[in-house]
Amino acid sequence: MVRELGAGLSRRIDRRLPAPPAALRRGPWRPGTFRSRLRSPRLTSQLGVALATAFGVCFVTGLLSHLIQHPPGWFGWPSRPVGLYRITQGVHIATGLATVPLLGAKLWSVYPRLFSWPPARTVVHALERAGVALLVAAALFQLVSGVLNIARWYTPMPFFFTAGHYRVAWLVVGALLVHIGVKLPVIRLALARRPRLTRPGVSRRSLLGAVAAAAGLITVSTAGQTIAPLARLSLLAPRRPTVGPQRLPVNKTAAGAGISVGAGYRLTVAGPGRRVALDLAGLDALPQYTVVLPITCVEGWSSTGTWTGIRLRDLAALVGVDPDRAVVEVESLQTGGRYRTSTVAPPQVRDPLTLIALRLHGEVLHPDHGYPARLIAPNRPGVLQTKWLSTITVRDAP
Amino acid sequence: MRTALIGSGLLVIAYAVIGAATDPDVKLPGVLAFLLGALVAHDAVFLPMVLAVGVLIGRYVPAEHRTAVRAAALVSAAVTLVALPLVLGLGRDPGNPSALPLPYGRGLAVLLALIWLTALAAVAVRRIRKRFARSRGTRDG
Repeated sequence: MVRELGAGLSRRIDRRLPAPPAALRRGPWRPGTFRSRLRSPRLTSQLGVALATAFGVCFVTGLLSHLIQHPPGWFGWPSRPVGLYRITQGVHIATGLATVPLLGAKLWSVYPRLFSWPPARTVVHALERAGVALLVAAALFQLVSGVLNIARWYTPMPFFFTAGHYRVAWLVVGALLVHIGVKLPVIRLALARRPRLTRPGVSRRSLLGAVAAAAGLITVSTAGQTIAPLARLSLLAPRRPTVGPQRLPVNKTAAGAGISVGAGYRLTVAGPGRRVALDLAGLDALPQYTVVLPITCVEGWSSTGTWTGIRLRDLAALVGVDPDRAVVEVESLQTGGRYRTSTVAPPQVRDPLTLIALRLHGEVLHPDHGYPARLIAPNRPGVLQTKWLSTITVRDAP
Repeated sequence: MRTALIGSGLLVIAYAVIGAATDPDVKLPGVLAFLLGALVAHDAVFLPMVLAVGVLIGRYVPAEHRTAVRAAALVSAAVTLVALPLVLGLGRDPGNPSALPLPYGRGLAVLLALIWLTALAAVAVRRIRKRFARSRGTRDG
């Protein structure tokens, strides 16, 4: 029924469009411009399957990161395993980087189709081509903006990276679903048919091998930013897990955030019925615990630190809230910025590993790591590990 | 199956467009400019350059070594693209030396040397094998 309806509709919009005058068929539009015999529906389909998988992995891990940072009511994120976000975000960045040669090869394999003649045979053909242009633009957008972002080079991007990268991710997925739907018969045929005998020139297998080699080399050259044993091999890693103040990298410095901590510093802990202001001596007087937790940046690097401080659940109890059923809002001394405050959901408040850290690797926190006090919680993106804490507001979880 | 894919794809595109248009954090003109810029830069500048290099390899490299040279060129291009923003280092902040701490220009040079040495080794192995096969062929014949 649906198919019949679709067929009726397609008959109507499948009428041939008038071809442009042949005199305009110049440059790359001339027949025989592209002569590589390596291009084939089979090659394109194989690259396409790999590319769709890679974009799928990036989409799922990216969406997860988005949901953790902007949780809707139905979404919950556990505090264990401690390093889960470290893995999902590491996979997001590594897959995205490895996709660079894959997308390049895929687009090379279909490049002659950009100059097909006539440019649009039918209305459907024109729409299909517009859809492909949308998919290519969106896919390039994601890879280029992602690479620029981990290199912290924001000037070429005339938009806020996080928001643009998130919205265009949906565009990629939508355009990809349409593209697969349109091409499904071609893909099925190309992948089912046994390839013809080898032809002269570079073989399909060599090309796929070169793409895989490029992806592998890029992965080894960058993954050391989160897999510490690879660090020495990763010549292009945007971070070294052990390079930074107190042997830990920094994203936002105290100077960059405009932080100055005076002698009058107090950490305010506010509950529904009680309010406590703690100075540095007061913080040090509370029971101290030491935990080993990673700090994981959304940019894909991570590093494990040994943190010492007060359990967040102890502070919840201090102001009279049941720590097993509490939600906490932490606020920084920063006067502005997107990450000035963050919410700690009940699973992380409850977790005894969640600390208001005062020390890192046995030393008083470096200003760039959030002196005098910062949040450190398991399985949480770095941008939500709020530094330079001024206020902790504890509420009963709804 | 095809109808379901195309239909759901169109719905997701609509969701993306409406989301982008209503998200106050998205600067729509900036996103559109970047989409268009990426497409034009790739289709009108980058890929023609790749094809030109391919033509040059076809013209100047003996047929038997072309696979190794083309593969090395492909890997070099991909690694260079990923490395370029790091090598340029325009995102560096002097106040935060822990971000982008490595000499990326040197890193890229090392990787390119590695790639081309591998290609050279592949070419050499092929030559030696061929010579070996030929000499054995004469002896056996």
